[in-house]
Amino acid sequence: MSKNPKIIPVDFEETIMTKVKSSEISMKPRWFFVLGSLLMMAGLVGLSIGAIFLSNLTLFLLRQHGPMGQWRLQVMLNSFPFWVPALAVVGIVLGIMMFRKYDFSYKKNFLLIVVGFIMSIILTAFILDYLGFNTMWSRQEPMRRFYQQFDRQNSTTPRGQGQVPGQGRGRFIQ
Amino acid sequence: MRDTSKLSDEEVIGIVRTKDKESYAEIINRYQTKLMRYASYIMGDEHMGADAVQESFIKAYINLNGFDTKKKFSSWIYRIVHNEAMNALRKNKRQLPMDDQTEFDSGVNLEDEFIKNEIINQAHHCLDQMPIIYKEPLSLYYLEEKSYEEISDILRIPIGTVGTRVNRAKGIMKKLCQKTQK
Repeated sequence: MSKNPKIIPVDFEETIMTKVKSSEISMKPRWFFVLGSLLMMAGLVGLSIGAIFLSNLTLFLLRQHGPMGQWRLQVMLNSFPFWVPALAVVGIVLGIMMFRKYDFSYKKNFLLIVVGFIMSIILTAFILDYLGFNTMWSRQEPMRRFYQQFDRQNSTTPRGQGQVPGQGRGRFIQ
Repeated sequence: MRDTSKLSDEEVIGIVRTKDKESYAEIINRYQTKLMRYASYIMGDEHMGADAVQESFIKAYINLNGFDTKKKFSSWIYRIVHNEAMNALRKNKRQLPMDDQTEFDSGVNLEDEFIKNEIINQAHHCLDQMPIIYKEPLSLYYLEEKSYEEISDILRIPIGTVGTRVNRAKGIMKKLCQKTQK
């Protein structure tokens, strides 16, 4: 391979510097890039939190629908809000796409980063569900209304563990 | 305009950003030939290469404040050219062949010159048939004399993958040239 192939001599200096001097082209300000980085970081954090929340909600809904007995499968398929896990998956995919913008995505093993990201989201969702955050949120404002929405959708199915035993007997549940 | 000829690329960029935008001419002078060679080679057409390089210099100037001076400027500008070239190739959908009239350095002996030209032509013919994912790291490594780390930064692929592609490219080159000779 020759290192010195003669190429058409092109002088970019004049063309480009004329545009620079006449301000036909100008540099974007520094804050534009700082803002871009901050928004990307915020987007990544937001997507991760959203994906954790939706995965956690999926676990809660699965639990509410009861054990996966064959006879219950059809009922579950009819009433399960599939948009919740679907949105969680979209969040994870967008998060992974945003990871690609960072340098570490090609300097480190990207597959490992992706697996780690997915695992950490699922694990956090499990921990939140295990610690009873769903039960707490389903009873407290402002999340109560959001959870009630699913409760109404699932009214055709038997009540699950979402309801605390003993409550609602002889008094109104708010 | 300041005398920036002895300064590093990153130092010149610092001056362009803060004090003297006309010093950008120094950057253009330093890189135009190298980038033209690189773009023409991967695109297989000098005119398309020239368009890509000009557009890259303009984009680099517009986004100069986004460049991190702790990193290598050369990798950054090569990356911009790579993106421009890939976009142009995608638009054209096909890679155009190398210009047949490309000239090479002249030697003293005419016979030697003929043999040399034959070999170079044959090498270019083989290289034209090589897929771009192998052609690009090969050109950066041998023509532009970039390190694996720099190629990794330009193409945004792991260093290991760069090594694999360069090695595979050599193998492919060998096979293609053997086929051409037959």
